Amino acid sequence: MTLPGFVIRNAFRNKRRALLSTLSVAASLFLLVVLQTFQREFTLPPEDVGASLRIAVRNKVSLGQPLPARQRPIIEKIPGIAAVTPFTYFGGRFKDMEFTPFAQFAVDPVAFTNVFVDAKLPLDQYEAWLKDRSSCIVGEDTVERYGLKLGEKIKLVGTFYPVDLDLKLVGIYSGTLDDRSVFFHHKHLDEMLDGSQTVGCWWVRAASSEEAPGVISTLNDTFANTSAEVRAETESAFQMGFVSMWGNVKLLIGSISSVVVFTLLLVAVSTMSMAIRERFRELAILKAIGYRRRELFGFILAESFGLAMVGALVGAGGAYALFQSLDIEKMTGGMLLYFEVTPRILAFAGTVAVALGIIAAVPPALAVARTSVVDGLKTLD
Amino acid sequence: MALPLKYNVQNVVVRWRSTLATILGIGLVVGVYVLMQAMAAGIEKSSANTGSPDNLLVTRKGSTSESSSIVSREQLRSLLYSPEIARNAAGEPLVSADVLILLNQPRREGGGEANVLMRGVSPRGREMRPQVRLVDGRWFDSGKREVVVSRRLAARFANFELGGRFRSGPAEYTVVGHTDGGGSAFDSEIWMDADEARAIFDRDQYSSLLVRPVDATAASNLVSRIETDKRLQLLARVESEYYAEQTSTAGPIKLLGNFLAIAMSVGAIFAAMNTMYASVGARTREIGTLRVLGFRRRAVVASFLIEGALLASLGGVLGCALSLFMNGYAVGTLSFSTFSETVFEFRVTPWLMAKGLLFSILVGLLGTLFPAIRASRLPVIAALKSL
Repeated sequence: MTLPGFVIRNAFRNKRRALLSTLSVAASLFLLVVLQTFQREFTLPPEDVGASLRIAVRNKVSLGQPLPARQRPIIEKIPGIAAVTPFTYFGGRFKDMEFTPFAQFAVDPVAFTNVFVDAKLPLDQYEAWLKDRSSCIVGEDTVERYGLKLGEKIKLVGTFYPVDLDLKLVGIYSGTLDDRSVFFHHKHLDEMLDGSQTVGCWWVRAASSEEAPGVISTLNDTFANTSAEVRAETESAFQMGFVSMWGNVKLLIGSISSVVVFTLLLVAVSTMSMAIRERFRELAILKAIGYRRRELFGFILAESFGLAMVGALVGAGGAYALFQSLDIEKMTGGMLLYFEVTPRILAFAGTVAVALGIIAAVPPALAVARTSVVDGLKTLD
Repeated sequence: MALPLKYNVQNVVVRWRSTLATILGIGLVVGVYVLMQAMAAGIEKSSANTGSPDNLLVTRKGSTSESSSIVSREQLRSLLYSPEIARNAAGEPLVSADVLILLNQPRREGGGEANVLMRGVSPRGREMRPQVRLVDGRWFDSGKREVVVSRRLAARFANFELGGRFRSGPAEYTVVGHTDGGGSAFDSEIWMDADEARAIFDRDQYSSLLVRPVDATAASNLVSRIETDKRLQLLARVESEYYAEQTSTAGPIKLLGNFLAIAMSVGAIFAAMNTMYASVGARTREIGTLRVLGFRRRAVVASFLIEGALLASLGGVLGCALSLFMNGYAVGTLSFSTFSETVFEFRVTPWLMAKGLLFSILVGLLGTLFPAIRASRLPVIAALKSL
């Protein structure tokens, strides 16, 4: 019998225990992967090609405070800016839903297409949007989800604004990272609000990524000490701001992950000890016929390592396969967008499994090493 | 005849090493479960604890929360002198027109920035919310850019200590007092004078009205009058009921807690099964002896189930004890309804602990069932012969 054969036979001599140990490792690693993915979802802003060029400008007080429309010509004159559009979150409710899973923004259609260059919209639909002030364009995902059709009216009940909108769907865009939103004419919103002179935010595209930092500081300086000071930041920094609002939740997920890992360790060590304890006698015989401690440790390590790796494969691999095949975005109503199990997370789970396999082998190996051959032979189960 | 309980207790003690690992494992699972539920309970408790049943909160129809509501001065005027509204000793109607403003402020120790809710409140508004007490310093004077901050927020945000100064908009504010809202949603607010706040932030309109009706009949009259008046487009609700409904943040946390509990308990059940199978294996001869003595299969199964439940409930107790350390610990997260930082405490209630304990026993029973059945099916003679 070869040495690997010996280890494998040993690992599976109690098939039930091997299975249960593997499954408990797998369940915990599955959980670990899910938690890590969850955390990533909340801490990583979506990135696309244009994101590094796009700059969000909001009121320094907070997002809840509007900006005066008169800032626009001043912003347009700043060198290094390719385009600027008003960007006002409408926050309407669609079809009496408790939580409307897509956002609606009032924008300037011409400037919008220059800021969000990745959005693809057929030319005829674009022209139709330009022509009709009470029309809107909707992202492909939302259109599919609610089975919307061109020409259909979309009713939105205002929660922030005391007006309701009734927008005609004239275009379907795609190609952005999050094809869910509704965009409509800012002028339409202004009219509905009886000539409002404010916007929610400005969205700016810098001409080049080299110029972006300069544009950001110019924007911040230009409006310093005015009645509406602004905070300009890259789109990704803006989204990271939301992440920091989650507060302790991030820490909480982190600590739960460590509890899971610790529990896992506990269970694995206990299982390995159990497996070794019942063959103390055999190990003593091996010792008696000349195997060294180092080699015995090797046997135990190989077995524990093997179980941990199979567990990792089932648990982490299972999570990977599961989230690859499920459409998480649809299932959670858009709350979770990607839920992507990245190689990095898989590598982390793998590292935990490796550490687990090694650490779990230590206590039983120590026990074997400490016991003399005679004592070992005397052991009765 | 059933096996004596002492047998199980001693078994748990004798195999202390693997027993300890199982207990710790189940304990941690139960601890995480109870804590997640305690977090949701904390959010619900702070909402349910807010406001008075004697007040009515008037907001714009269609707005989902007080902070996104708008009430115009005309609307205030048309309601201010309603006969249903009570008056104070000075003869002024008990109506507070508040304005809510989101401020983006830095957290302590580089925790990034977060939104905080600032409430511009009138003197009457303070009178009508006796729940909010001053615990340190003094109340703000109007016109001096002074604010009071809840003690809980002060612990989480930079510059909110007494005498601390922070900027927002065109003004700089001084914190002159700390308040305590008694675990209510007011613990997540900054207060300053309403008119001053409206002037600073250029708000022509109010966010909401807080109204004290004369009595219950007047209250329901006022609610239906506001409801039916098409020109007003306002909605009046009992203040405490309004807040009790603002618990949307608790939903996802509960969901996450349940998911974690299920996933972790699957792992724990496998681990418990492992321990119990080993325990059965080691006791083969013992079980054979019991059977020879005349104990029935049923009794053996019951005995093992009891042992598993006992083992797991020890873990449950441990988990509950661990979670108690976090009881009352204040945490903050983003509230979905106000879009600002909401501060609440872990609330480990007796009911939650009972649920945790029950949960642990369930894990124990599920983990023991198959090993117990196996034990009862061992052929008696072979079992006796085994080493």
